[in-house]
Amino acid sequence: MSATTRYLIERFTIYLLTVYISFTIVFILPRLVPGDPLSIYYARLRDLGSVQGVEEMIEEYRKMLGLDKDLFTQYVSYIRSLLRGDLGYSIGNFPAKVSDMIADALPWSIGLLSVTTILSWLIGTLLGAISGWRGGRLSRIFSIGALFLSNLPYYVLAIILVFVFAYTLRWFPSTGGYSVGMTPRLSLDFILNVIWHSVLPALSIILSSLAWWYLSMRSMVATVKGEDFVVFAEAKGLPQKDIMWNYGVRNAILPQVTGLALEMSRIFAGALVTEVIFGYPGLGTLIVTGIRTLDYFLIQGTILLSIFAVATATFLVELIYPLLDPRIRYGGG
Amino acid sequence: MSTTQKITKMFKILSSLRKNRKVVFGITAYVLALFISVFVLLNYPPSSKKIGYAEPLLPPSPEHILGTDILGREMIVLQAEAVINSTIIGLTAASIGVLVGSLLGFVGGYYGGRIDYVSRVFTDVFLSVPSLLFLILISSLISSLGKQLNIVEVGLLISLFSWTWPARQVRAQALSLKERDFIYLSEISGERKLEIIIREMMPHMIPWMTASFVNAFMTAILTEAGLSILGLGPQTDMTLGMLLWWPLNNAAMYRGLWWWWIFPLAAFIYMFFSLYIVQIGITEIINPRSKVV
Repeated sequence: MSATTRYLIERFTIYLLTVYISFTIVFILPRLVPGDPLSIYYARLRDLGSVQGVEEMIEEYRKMLGLDKDLFTQYVSYIRSLLRGDLGYSIGNFPAKVSDMIADALPWSIGLLSVTTILSWLIGTLLGAISGWRGGRLSRIFSIGALFLSNLPYYVLAIILVFVFAYTLRWFPSTGGYSVGMTPRLSLDFILNVIWHSVLPALSIILSSLAWWYLSMRSMVATVKGEDFVVFAEAKGLPQKDIMWNYGVRNAILPQVTGLALEMSRIFAGALVTEVIFGYPGLGTLIVTGIRTLDYFLIQGTILLSIFAVATATFLVELIYPLLDPRIRYGGG
Repeated sequence: MSTTQKITKMFKILSSLRKNRKVVFGITAYVLALFISVFVLLNYPPSSKKIGYAEPLLPPSPEHILGTDILGREMIVLQAEAVINSTIIGLTAASIGVLVGSLLGFVGGYYGGRIDYVSRVFTDVFLSVPSLLFLILISSLISSLGKQLNIVEVGLLISLFSWTWPARQVRAQALSLKERDFIYLSEISGERKLEIIIREMMPHMIPWMTASFVNAFMTAILTEAGLSILGLGPQTDMTLGMLLWWPLNNAAMYRGLWWWWIFPLAAFIYMFFSLYIVQIGITEIINPRSKVV
């Protein structure tokens, strides 16, 4: 078996394990609550005055969750329905299916997150490489700025951006995924409208994660620059540009990719909260809807999908790794 | 190592912390905020944070320095309370996190073998699951049952995930530390393992544990803010996160109620940066190459 295959199998096993363990924890959590959660839940919904259809829904759930059966049967049917992609019914929007609601929100989140993550990683890494290689005053000034942005939660930046660009300057809309009154369809008009609405949420994610990638790449490249083989390349008379790309960036890029895989859940969690600030119609807003309407199954479904999404994204990033790391490709080290 | 040596070592670490300007600056800024908050709370009647104390949504004026919120509560009192409550959340989560994490890391790293394997796998699983997602689920489960969490309970909840990073850090250090000569020496001289961990290794771990503590403290405060902005915060108490949730949830910005959101945001950024500067300083001490500025 080649080293790459071994690496891929190992990664894939870890990916499946993470998802499986997380899903199992999600199954166990509500069952740790003393008493019959559904009855407490029902009573609480009744207090809030929303009884329409609740009773039949609770019955539906009792059947679906198999609460009268033993724990193991419940667990098996839970895993089975997850494999079918069945996440149950929404309580706030009964009889809407949770999976349908997620399907509406998912493209928004994936669109926002993939674009911002890739852009900020690419730009941050590139700027960091140049800045780390050249050094100098400008690089130091940039770093101070980046140091302040890099750890600032996205939502803090989001509030500031809303105030400056949406409220004061009125350049961009402050809320929603597209203008009210527009119907989602595949036209240039609509697409431009969507992009226009996503500028601010995207910007708040990009700015602070760009700073993060910038800093880590900068310090990595600066370290590589001091290595003997770089001095040797310089002594050989290779052009600076070649040394930077082939020796500096080539070596520093590996930890950057590992970093991307490690940061995935932090990026995702930050984006969820940012979506809420902008009322962006993705998974974060869906969770808040669930919280407002006491819709535990909507929340649980969204969380399950989020766990799956984060794990999958991490796994995808890890797939890039063998392409970059000769130690995995040829099996040494 | 003799006791005097150990004490010297501790002092050296403490003085390197004291000499680092960033650490001193950050801690001073944070403590200053705490002092001001206590001062404010002592000088305002307890009723000033009750609903209907003053007229709602009054802009700042000599009588109401930071204005009042939608329920007629004194903003300055709410802010003071938020600073203290968030600190309690941070302290609870960070103390438990560092204590549990260090113990796990020490024991795993020092004893090695099967104990190490189990604790490492356990730590890695917890590190790889997205903690905020689980905290959202647990909090919404609790709130859907109609239960309100108080400040300490929020801290305890967050501490469910705050031990992972300290555990990993401490384990890595314990692994390298146990190969040092003075540890061998104390093993030969017949000290018990637990004694070695506490008496010989602990003093060397203080910088790492401090760094983990500050990190866990900051993460806890940010996690609480994230949960609160999603609507899962402690509804009856004020925290730095709830301080932001109220104006966000009531569109304060668009209604021109600037004092209702600018002051909380400023307080949040202030508290965040004072901790962040401490963190940067400590990282510089334990890893001088990380110095950026």
